[in-house]
Amino acid sequence: MVDLQKYKKIFVAESEKYLKELDNFLIRVEQTPDDTELWKEIHGKIHSIKGMAKALSMNNIARLSHAMENWCKLFQDDTDKVEPGAVQLFFDGGKLLKLLVGEDDEISGLENRKWYNSLISGFSQEPPDRRNSRERIQAVPDTGTVEKIDCVRVKYSLIEELLGYAQETLFLEKTLPPLSRESTALKSWIDHYTSMLKGLYFRLAQLRLMSVGDFADLFAVTIRNLAREHDKQVEFRVVGGDLQADIALLDRLREPFIHLIRNSIAHGIETPEERRRAGKTPTGLIRLEAGKERESLCIRISDDGRGISRKAIAGHLKNNRSMSDEQIAALSDTEFFGTVFDTDFSSAAETSDIAGRGIGMNVVAQAIEYLSGSIAIASDPGRGTEFLIRLPVSLSVVYAITFKLGPYMLSIPTANVESIDQWDGMDSAEKKGLYDLGARLGVGKSRVFSHVMNVKYSEIENIIAPGHKRIKFAVDTIIGNKAVMVMPVGELLAKTRAFGGVGIMENGDITMLLDPGSWLFDM
Amino acid sequence: MEYFTFKANGRYWGVEARFVHRVLENVPPARVPFVPACYLGLIYYRGELFDVVDAANLLSGGTGSLTGKDARIVLLKWSRHKLALIPDEIIGLVWSGDIKGDGTVYSHKNHTVRIITPAAMWNSLFGLSYGRSSEV
Repeated sequence: MVDLQKYKKIFVAESEKYLKELDNFLIRVEQTPDDTELWKEIHGKIHSIKGMAKALSMNNIARLSHAMENWCKLFQDDTDKVEPGAVQLFFDGGKLLKLLVGEDDEISGLENRKWYNSLISGFSQEPPDRRNSRERIQAVPDTGTVEKIDCVRVKYSLIEELLGYAQETLFLEKTLPPLSRESTALKSWIDHYTSMLKGLYFRLAQLRLMSVGDFADLFAVTIRNLAREHDKQVEFRVVGGDLQADIALLDRLREPFIHLIRNSIAHGIETPEERRRAGKTPTGLIRLEAGKERESLCIRISDDGRGISRKAIAGHLKNNRSMSDEQIAALSDTEFFGTVFDTDFSSAAETSDIAGRGIGMNVVAQAIEYLSGSIAIASDPGRGTEFLIRLPVSLSVVYAITFKLGPYMLSIPTANVESIDQWDGMDSAEKKGLYDLGARLGVGKSRVFSHVMNVKYSEIENIIAPGHKRIKFAVDTIIGNKAVMVMPVGELLAKTRAFGGVGIMENGDITMLLDPGSWLFDM
Repeated sequence: MEYFTFKANGRYWGVEARFVHRVLENVPPARVPFVPACYLGLIYYRGELFDVVDAANLLSGGTGSLTGKDARIVLLKWSRHKLALIPDEIIGLVWSGDIKGDGTVYSHKNHTVRIITPAAMWNSLFGLSYGRSSEV
């Protein structure tokens, strides 16, 4: 069954973002009504809202955006039709769209119904030509509604500072002197206070998350400017923008992404004329797609440009690596295209203009490696290039079954846990068949178990159509199904290849998230 | 130059003071499996995770281990790395502009203090074997 609520949530978030951007474009177009590019941008925003609204059967929003879209098309062809009242009508349209998005497409009250109808009727008319217009478009008077302030901008450094204060306060708990027996009430008060403080800290830490969509917005202007600079037409599309990741991680991705995008526009995407000759649409597409695979954040950046010349890479491998044709042919695509990330590929590229895609790619690879991630490249001549970046789970909050085994506090994402059984309820044959996780961890054998966890997981090799494996093991104690803030494992622990991340629990305790697909569960 | 000096495995060590980010008390590290003996666990401090290391074990090449006299954790930060070190004892800050002969050792109050960089400690740590279980 399709989870409409989930999509509606995405729709609301995306639409609010587009409508905010729409306001900015309208402010600009009011100053320069002849700028057809601006009208194109405005059209793009409204079109996106319409598309999503239609898919969700939000007909009032779809109808109004459609009406607004018609005028956008007209203004792109003939800017003489743009007179000040027209821009105001767009402002009003945007304002009403905001209202409808917030109210689940409902038009509440008579006033708003009138407002809606007058806008539909306004946009249904032919816009008057400002060269010979006697009558000006009558903008709908402001209804006097004031937008709710439901979010504020806060500097990242302030969040870090607040986190610091919260943690320092939490540390004070550890220096609490022993309390006498008579101080039970005080002790109870302190426990409650500390637990509230831990909750506060946990929530503060979540402020460090940023949506990939907001991150992608940072590139929109750069892409537009670069495309203009290179006389190219480029559309930037973001998929999975609602996924959230740690701001610090995203910030470190900014430079590598700019690099990839710059290369894509400068060397990958063809000019409109070249694209037409190749049977493509004149506008090239750069797509940023975010998703989660297991405990990894995956970001795919692709373009539909000319791709990387295999000939150029082969030439580099022959000249700089003294590889024979046979050796080159034996390379897998990943190894072959991976050559562009080599340090020596950059210098070679600069001197021989080797398809122009290797310049500085080693810098990109290093930046990803620094984040303990990986980058893979695939390219199809004439069809485009795709970079797949996998990063260890960034700061995010997941639910995980937390348990103790020996001295270790461990967790497995709840989604991977099929069932939890009582140890006492199992017969000896079943107990004998269990996987001995304790032995793998080097935990002594003489233990008293409380529960048995039944964990399902997918094979790494086949992410598209995962085959589910199951494994059962006994644990000392189940702590519970806990919300944990997941942080990436550092370079040292990454060497174990056993963990999907480090979890910080609401009480500040650390739990290691086991990767169910790792060697740890190889039987 | 100012050095942060500490004792580990019966020897005196010095790290450039500018790399010392903070000294924490009473923060027990969370135990982690599949790590070498010198790796004591993880701590979470101000939004960052630190690998906690037994200085005596690491600096003795695995022959020594923490005596437990001083449970303070020294947080080190340098270039893109960070590390938490538990020495046997924290001596304090000393200033020296005169590092002897090989450039790594000098005398302080009749003790020979060996200067070590956090990067050298990191390299030793990184070179160890991870992914194997150790009896606990």
